[in-house]
Amino acid sequence: MEGRAIWIVMALETLIAAGFMLIIPLITRRGLLFGAYVGEAQSEGEESRRITRGWYVGMAGTLLLTLLLGSVLATSIPKRPELAVLTVVVFLGGTFACYLRAYFQARALAVTTAVSSAAAPLLADTPASLALPLAALGFALVSGAVAVGYAWIHYPDLPARMPTHFGPSGAPDAWSPKSFASVMILPLGTLVMGVMLGVTACLTARAKRAIRERDGGVSLDAQVRFRRAMARFLSGTTVLVTVMMGLMSVWAVRTALGLATGMPPVLMPLVIGMVVYAFGGSIYIAVRYGQGGARLERRAGGAALTDGLADNERWILGAFYVNRNDPSLFVEKRFGLGYTINLGNPKAILLLLAFFGIMAAIVLVSLTMPQTGAR
Amino acid sequence: MQEVPTITLDRATDEPAYEQIARQIRALVTAGTLPAGTVLPGVRTLAADLGVNLNTVARAYRLLADQCFVRIRSRSGVMVAAPPRRAAPDASASLAAELDGLLARMRQAGVAADDVRRMVNQGLGKASTAGRESES
Repeated sequence: MEGRAIWIVMALETLIAAGFMLIIPLITRRGLLFGAYVGEAQSEGEESRRITRGWYVGMAGTLLLTLLLGSVLATSIPKRPELAVLTVVVFLGGTFACYLRAYFQARALAVTTAVSSAAAPLLADTPASLALPLAALGFALVSGAVAVGYAWIHYPDLPARMPTHFGPSGAPDAWSPKSFASVMILPLGTLVMGVMLGVTACLTARAKRAIRERDGGVSLDAQVRFRRAMARFLSGTTVLVTVMMGLMSVWAVRTALGLATGMPPVLMPLVIGMVVYAFGGSIYIAVRYGQGGARLERRAGGAALTDGLADNERWILGAFYVNRNDPSLFVEKRFGLGYTINLGNPKAILLLLAFFGIMAAIVLVSLTMPQTGAR
Repeated sequence: MQEVPTITLDRATDEPAYEQIARQIRALVTAGTLPAGTVLPGVRTLAADLGVNLNTVARAYRLLADQCFVRIRSRSGVMVAAPPRRAAPDASASLAAELDGLLARMRQAGVAADDVRRMVNQGLGKASTAGRESES
C-alpha cells in the first residue's frame, strides 16, 4: 500500500512540476526569454514565439516519458518504490535539456550592446515590510529552541532504542540505538530549517528592486507588491514547517518515553495543509503577480529593464547572477519564480555554503544511523 | 498610484557614479520634488538597487550633506534637509568663492553680462517656486 502511494505521489508531483514549468514563459518579465535579456520588442517577436513553442513541446515530451517510465516501473517492480527516484532523474534531466536548448537559442537573439544604465527609486524601505518575516524568524527560533530543549532535557530518561521513522498511521515502524544523532537530529533539523526559511523570508523582504526606465512608477509598484507577496508566503512557510517539524520532534521523544503511542492525529492534516499551501501559494503568486510583478507591469509597455536584469554578462546560463560590484544578497530570478543569490557577494556565498553544509550533515547523519524495523 | 522619484545611472558616461547620484538628488531637491523631511533610501538599499559599491552611494550622500542638501543621522537614516533661515558665514564665503569662479568661466566663455543676469534670475525664480511648493 505504501509502495503504491509513493508512485501516486511521484506522479502527482511530476504533473505539478511540469505544469509549473509550462506556465513560466507566461509569467516572465517582458524583455526576458529563458534566462536571456533579448529586449522588450524582441521578446514578443516571432522568433521568441518559436523558441517558446519548442519549450512547450520539449516539456510535454519530458512529462510523457517520465509518466511512462513511472507506470512501467510501478507495474513491473511494484515492491521497489525507491526506484521512483529514476523518474525524478529523467524529469530533471529532460527539463534541464529543454531549458539549455531554449536558453542558447534566446542568447543568440540577445541584445549585444552593453547595458549602460541602472535605475533606482528614491523610496526608503519601510520597517513594516520586515515585520512579518522577522516575526516568523522569531517564531522559528523559539520553536526550534523548545524542540531542542525538550529532547535534551529528556535525553537521560530515553530508552536504549529510539523511534526514528513513523508510518502513515502515525505509529513508529523503525528504530535506532539511542545516540546524540538519533535523538537530536530532528530537533536540530527543526531549528535549522526554521531559521533558514525565516532568514530567506527576511532577505526576500529586502531584495533588490529591479525597475524599468521612465515608466511612471508602474514597475516599482509591481515589484514592491510581488516582493511583499513572496515575503508573506515565505513567512507562512516558515511557521508551518517549524510547527510540523517541532511536533514531530516532541512526539518522537514522547513516544520513546511511553507518553504517546505515535504521532498526534493533527500531524497528517498539517502535512497535507503544508503541501497544499506550498504548491497552491506558488501557483497563486505566479498567476496573480507573475515573476517580479510581470503580470502587474504590463501597463509599462515597452519601457526597458535596467542594470542587473538587463545585463547578460552578469548571468551564467541565465540562472546564476555574479556581480561583485552589487552589494545585493538576493536578486530577482530571470527564469522561474522568486529570487536567487548574488554569487559575486562573499556573504551570499557563505550563506549558500552554510545551507548546503548543514543539509549535507543532516543527510549524512541520517544515512549513517542504523535502523531496524524491530523494537 | 503616486509616482516615486527615481534616479538613473549612465555607465557609458565619464561622470563618476557618485556625482551622477548627487547631481540628480540635488536637482530633485531644488525642484521641490523631494521636500524637506523626505527620507531617502539607506546606503545599502540604494547601492543594491543601482548595482554599485556601498562606498559610491555613501560618498554621494556625504557630498550632499556637505552641501546642506541632506542630513545623515545614524538612526533615522538620510533625510532631505530644509535650508537654514540664514546661511552660516563659512558656507556663504565658500559659495561666494565658487560663484566668483563660475562667473569668471562664463566671462571667459563669452557669455554676456545680461545673459548671466537672466540666468541668475531664472534660477532664483525656480528655487523660490520650489520653496513655496514644499512649504505648502
